Amino acid sequence: MSSKHKILVIDDDPDLVRALRLRLRANNYEIVTAGDGYSAIAVAQKERPELIVLDLGLPVGDGFVVLERLQKSDALSGVPVIVLSARDPVDNEARALSLGAAAFFQKPADNEELLNVIRVTLPERQPTATRLS
Amino acid sequence: MNGPAAHVLLIEDNPGDVDLVRLRLMESQPDAEVECVHRLSDALAALGRETPSLVLLDLNLPDSRGAETFRKIRERAPDVPVVVLSGQDDEALALKAVHQGVQDYLVKGEFSSKHLERAMRYAVERQAVVRSLDMARKQQIEFKNQFLSHVSHELRTPLTCIHQYVTLLLDGLAGPVTPDQSDHLKTVLKSVNQLHAMIRDLLEATRAESGKLRVEPRCIALGRLIEQAVAMMRPAAQAKQIGIEIGMDCRTPLVFADPDRILEVLINLLDNAIKFTPAEGAITLRTYLQETEPEVVYVSVSDTGRGISPEARNLIFERLYQDPDSIDNNRSGLGLGLFICRELIRRHQGNLTVASELGHGSTFTFSVQAYSLAKLLAPVIIYQEKLRPSFVLLQVDLIPVSCPPRGNWPETWKACLDTLRRCVYVDKDLVLPPTGSPGATETFFVVASTDIERAGIMTTRIREQLGRLSDFDARASVSITTMPVEAGLIAGQTLDEQVRAVAECVNEKIMEILGKNNR
Repeated sequence: MSSKHKILVIDDDPDLVRALRLRLRANNYEIVTAGDGYSAIAVAQKERPELIVLDLGLPVGDGFVVLERLQKSDALSGVPVIVLSARDPVDNEARALSLGAAAFFQKPADNEELLNVIRVTLPERQPTATRLS
Repeated sequence: MNGPAAHVLLIEDNPGDVDLVRLRLMESQPDAEVECVHRLSDALAALGRETPSLVLLDLNLPDSRGAETFRKIRERAPDVPVVVLSGQDDEALALKAVHQGVQDYLVKGEFSSKHLERAMRYAVERQAVVRSLDMARKQQIEFKNQFLSHVSHELRTPLTCIHQYVTLLLDGLAGPVTPDQSDHLKTVLKSVNQLHAMIRDLLEATRAESGKLRVEPRCIALGRLIEQAVAMMRPAAQAKQIGIEIGMDCRTPLVFADPDRILEVLINLLDNAIKFTPAEGAITLRTYLQETEPEVVYVSVSDTGRGISPEARNLIFERLYQDPDSIDNNRSGLGLGLFICRELIRRHQGNLTVASELGHGSTFTFSVQAYSLAKLLAPVIIYQEKLRPSFVLLQVDLIPVSCPPRGNWPETWKACLDTLRRCVYVDKDLVLPPTGSPGATETFFVVASTDIERAGIMTTRIREQLGRLSDFDARASVSITTMPVEAGLIAGQTLDEQVRAVAECVNEKIMEILGKNNR
């Protein structure tokens, strides 16, 4: 099982996190989670995920703060981040991308599109392990 | 000082009236400072220097007459209270000026110093009220925009949760579902999607209202967009056995428009057509040109639905309009679609109109500007009424390092385009609008008013600047080719013809390059 890609989901809505966990697990990803901006960095440092799905409206340091901190960390700056937020892309997408996010999705996002972007954004490593069923 | 106006600008050309007004002012407000001018041009100059506390205005001056005089004063000094001095025979004109925003009027020869003082005092007060109302209105719009933005965000959060769990159930990720259950869940999902679309429309309409709709035009082929829109809407049409036909005028040129926005408009018009056309009807999508306006392309969507009454025709583009006799029980929108479409087309310097007759279907038509390289090039290749001496075409190929591209390719693409725009001289070089949608390898073109030798300096600058973009080398490589543009100008050509010849030469080269790439 260690060949699974590890994804960190950062969102303060536990119900949504539960649903995302089910959806991503079904697609053969290993999931770790964090519910606020502060613990997000600690979890990322400990778990070393290969990709991060990040909400913007978070308690204790919003998504932009998390993006900045990730960029500043030598160990984490290379981890691709996909922003998944209910916020208006007109006001937030450019800012998120300029802070290093790889993609921006507005909630509710199309599951297939999100999974596709996760697939092409993940750093290359044993590509057969991420095939969709 | 017993009057409110400390500095009065008196605009009056009749010396007798000037003396009379000065006299009345002296009687009521001896401290008031009076500046007197006789012509509108002098008045506008005075208003440009200093804002008076009040303007006393004769509408008929040597260089301007009637309502136009007030309009120009208002334009120059929007916040200054104005009292019109009217002759006995043109009181109607003064009254009209009051409707247009003048605070009050006095009939010359009929007012005392008391009247004058009162009129001036009221004018100042009224203008203050108007100003604060205007400010309140602006604040209200701003508040409404913030409120809608906040509400739509808050609505999206629970909606996302519903969407996630419904799709989990539908996809069988929480155990098997019976066909009946799956049917019910699909109904829930449909409603969720409708709600989602409504929230999106609400925000778009707010943006349209405050002129903030984003439009990024490029050079596009309408045919491809139309096919894409029809392909997306065909399932819905087929469900009602409605046929969709496309009729493109073979002369349809490339257009200068935002592909995403035009697609949005096409889908909206098709969606409406399907909604209001009975089963087994027909929808036709056409493009056509009109000889009188060769630079405009028209796109029409016609249906065989029940048509729109003349009264409703004036209302359908209004916000929140819902057809009261809708045959479709399943009304699925807020009535913002056509309002947003019309605003989007207006942002493209076009127009969206409807022609319809009850019982005989409707035709919605919008116009977009044809892409004209000559029109874009003219401002940069002409200098002092003459064509610049030489031009170079730069071909910049942006090639992703891996396939499919890693990271966010549209962002890499945009960064490259922005860099090109920074590296050229805005008054003599032009980065051509990108063609099509961003895909894998991209080719950008720059027309530079320079010679091949100096184009080399530009190439070096572009490479340097691109190299400075963070992480750029890991995502893409760049190849730059320069070629001279030899338009083969003939003596005796007009400037217009010369510009067109250069544009044609550039176009030919681009077509050749893009053709090669496709092969």
